[in-house]
Amino acid sequence: MASDQQTGGAPQGRRAIARARRREALARGWGQFRTRRAGMAGLGILLFFTLSALLAPVLFPPETISVTRATGELLAPPSGEFWLGTDDSGRSMLALLAWGARVSLTVGIAATLISMVIGTSVGIASGHYHGFGGAALQRLTDWVLVIPFLPLAIVLATVLGGGSTVTIIVVIGVTSWAGTARLIRAQTLSVEGRPYLERSRALGSGNWHQMTRHVLPNVFPLVLANTTLTVAIAILSETTLSFLGLGDPLRPSWGATLDQAFSNGAVSAGAWWYIGPPGLCVVLVVLSFTMIGRALEQIVNPRLGGQ
Amino acid sequence: MKVRRRWHAWAAFTSAIAVLVALPLLPASAEESPSPATSAADKTVFTVGITQDVDSTNPFTGIAAASFEAYQMMYPTLTEYSAADFSTVPGLAESWEESADKTYWTYKIRPGLKWSDGEPLTARDAAYTFNRVINGDIEQTNYGGYTSTITKAVAEDDTTLVLYVKKPSPIMYQLAVYILPEHIWKDIDGKKVKSYKNEPENGEAVVGGGPYVLIERRKGEYLRFAANPNYYAGKPAADEVVFRVYKNTDAIAEALRKGEVDYANDLSANVFNSLEGAEGITTVPSVYSGFNQIAFNMGAALTDGTPIGDGSKIVLDPQVRLAVAQAIDRQVLADKVYGGFATPGSTVIPPLYTNLHLEPANPVGFDLDAANATLEAAGYTMGEDGVRVSPDGERMSLRLLGRQESSESQKVVEYVKDWLAQIGIEVNVKIVSEDTLYEKVGNGDFDMFEWGWVVEPDPDYQLSTFTCDQRSTEEDGTIYAGLSDSFYCDDEYDQLYEDQKLETDQAKRAEIVKQMQQKLYDSNAYVVTVYYDNPTAYRSDRWTNFTPQPEPDGVLLFQYGTWSYESIEPVTADNADTTSSSGGGVNPALIVVGVVIAAGLVLGGVMIGRRGRSEDDVE
Repeated sequence: MASDQQTGGAPQGRRAIARARRREALARGWGQFRTRRAGMAGLGILLFFTLSALLAPVLFPPETISVTRATGELLAPPSGEFWLGTDDSGRSMLALLAWGARVSLTVGIAATLISMVIGTSVGIASGHYHGFGGAALQRLTDWVLVIPFLPLAIVLATVLGGGSTVTIIVVIGVTSWAGTARLIRAQTLSVEGRPYLERSRALGSGNWHQMTRHVLPNVFPLVLANTTLTVAIAILSETTLSFLGLGDPLRPSWGATLDQAFSNGAVSAGAWWYIGPPGLCVVLVVLSFTMIGRALEQIVNPRLGGQ
Repeated sequence: MKVRRRWHAWAAFTSAIAVLVALPLLPASAEESPSPATSAADKTVFTVGITQDVDSTNPFTGIAAASFEAYQMMYPTLTEYSAADFSTVPGLAESWEESADKTYWTYKIRPGLKWSDGEPLTARDAAYTFNRVINGDIEQTNYGGYTSTITKAVAEDDTTLVLYVKKPSPIMYQLAVYILPEHIWKDIDGKKVKSYKNEPENGEAVVGGGPYVLIERRKGEYLRFAANPNYYAGKPAADEVVFRVYKNTDAIAEALRKGEVDYANDLSANVFNSLEGAEGITTVPSVYSGFNQIAFNMGAALTDGTPIGDGSKIVLDPQVRLAVAQAIDRQVLADKVYGGFATPGSTVIPPLYTNLHLEPANPVGFDLDAANATLEAAGYTMGEDGVRVSPDGERMSLRLLGRQESSESQKVVEYVKDWLAQIGIEVNVKIVSEDTLYEKVGNGDFDMFEWGWVVEPDPDYQLSTFTCDQRSTEEDGTIYAGLSDSFYCDDEYDQLYEDQKLETDQAKRAEIVKQMQQKLYDSNAYVVTVYYDNPTAYRSDRWTNFTPQPEPDGVLLFQYGTWSYESIEPVTADNADTTSSSGGGVNPALIVVGVVIAAGLVLGGVMIGRRGRSEDDVE
């Protein structure tokens, strides 16, 4: 910081260079990404679902998913009016799915943000500090890693008071960071072994400076690639928890819709349009995030091969 | 090792197939031997599937619904509720009379009765039982409610029982105290009774006086009852009744389909629908005595009037509650949420109690415009965000609690939220467990909630839930919930409640009970959403002549009384004799074929397994 002030105009020049480099790296990354068919396909699917989530209120006004103003027959099969049939309250399944995309994507991304922030901080800190603190953090990570996810999530959701979307986000966020933390820790160790960090230490940079200025930028691509993979898991978890009745039953996420379908006898009624489409949506979105994530991973981590 | 494992897999596979093939062909053998002790063949066995086991066969300690079903099979009561309309009919007592000065009641016991072991059953047994409850400690738990006004019981002779009372009470018509054999129970004192099991010992049945006696019990598995030849209404047609315990109603429905049980109730709408039309099975919706409601917090307080909780002031306004009642379409709830297995609700005494139910003369119908007008007239003006504002400037935002345990409850609150949004009331729904809900309601921490009651034929208990005395109480800083969950408190209502408690003329009492229902209906303390049915299915290819309570479409078992157990008869097919028809009429030849096929498959499996081994050996 001190040197920044002394050299006056230089920082701007340096920042401009950094920005240009970053832009260049991004462009190069995009160029590489474009060559990966799976990644592009994933991106396409994701764009489709994001658009339908954003456009849901326009395409399907809130009245269409209101139980009291539903116009369809109960559990009607697909028809010209209702392309994907209706649920047990006579609501259009298509509208429910579009609104469900909003909930599922929101929960998935919000939970992932929590998970990433915790995972990255713990990962970097445990890689950076070699003393008791680092070891403690690593044991904590191991501990969270070995606790079976589902029981932990169910207990947490119950303790935090089930039945709300925020609870689900928090529960998924605080239970799914351990894998990320491990990954980031490994990368941190490798970055910290590089000579320029030793130089930086020799020049007197503190822990905070090292972690945020040198380690974080270096592990960031990995964080990004891991994020997309975690989103997939988070969406799947949201579906699971909602299916188990721990979500907000009044918000039609895909998992909640599946839960409704099962508890209202869609299976014995043979209402495949009530069970199939929400399941398919989950599969597609999870698949798209996974494909994007894998593609990104291969770009930021050439050692994974794939070229 | 490799070879071995492969052979095992084959053996397991083939025997699994053998079982699968043989199972559907052998329902008779599975059904006719509920326990190893039965030598089946010439006995008719009626099997009932239950989800909650009998917790104790000792009538002083059990509390489960199935336990009381067992007690009324094992022991008689003085009077009974008729199957037709729940009116009082003779039981052990042929007749009864209140004395002119209203200080005692005289019951004439049927003469010449015997317990199942041949000992005489007289008024002395009845007097013994009542005195035991009156003077008892643990004996009070289940029956104290019936004997609170009785001071003592005296048997003047073998057929005359006199009960002295402190004050007149209509409960004297319906004393559901199970009369026990004195010669057995005199040896079981107040201390022993707590842990007394009252189960068959050394293969000897528990001595009883009801239509059936308990002959075998396995905890968590089944209870076996045999018809009592000494029963005063005659020996029932089914030789044995078995209560078999299952994990859930789906499992019972499956067992019914397979023929393992003859009767299943409490079925969900979709299971019921899937059983409809199944061969040999008859499904009946059965009207039931339960209702569900949206309840309001009408000013939560302790019995001394100290306010508790954080209920909204808005629902204290009767006009707001009226508007909510106008905004709930009970017919839609009955059709869409309960799948048609419910009827729209009105008052807190269900219509199946024809003598007591009041159908309000001024019914509040579903009308969103009227609901909006009601709120407008009461000074609740529409805000810019579509939510009304009270005359005090408070936003009309209310909390509504639904139950996690019930998918119907969760749907109902969604519908209510939706309708209320259309009249400018914002509803924040929260789904909680029933335990949590009970606690929140007891503490008064709610605005509205969804729950329900099952109403007994005697209206006293249900009506008491709206008295001031049933509000919460506080002890050492902890608040304990009373029976009241609406915190309705009205002096006039309380007076009517006391009046009906003392009125021994049943017609006059019914009038008071109807007045009370009207008061509750007008206050909208509850918006009774629906009276729900009890979807039931039974093997009509084996059993016939059930007695519904009430007639013509009430429940078939788990009644107030043992009417169906006494009336059912095995189906007698034209081509088969009576005994084998109860087994579902499976042709013995089919069983032989099944066994042959199964044996063949096992043999084939072994052969293929052998060949697999030799091939491996060659390798």
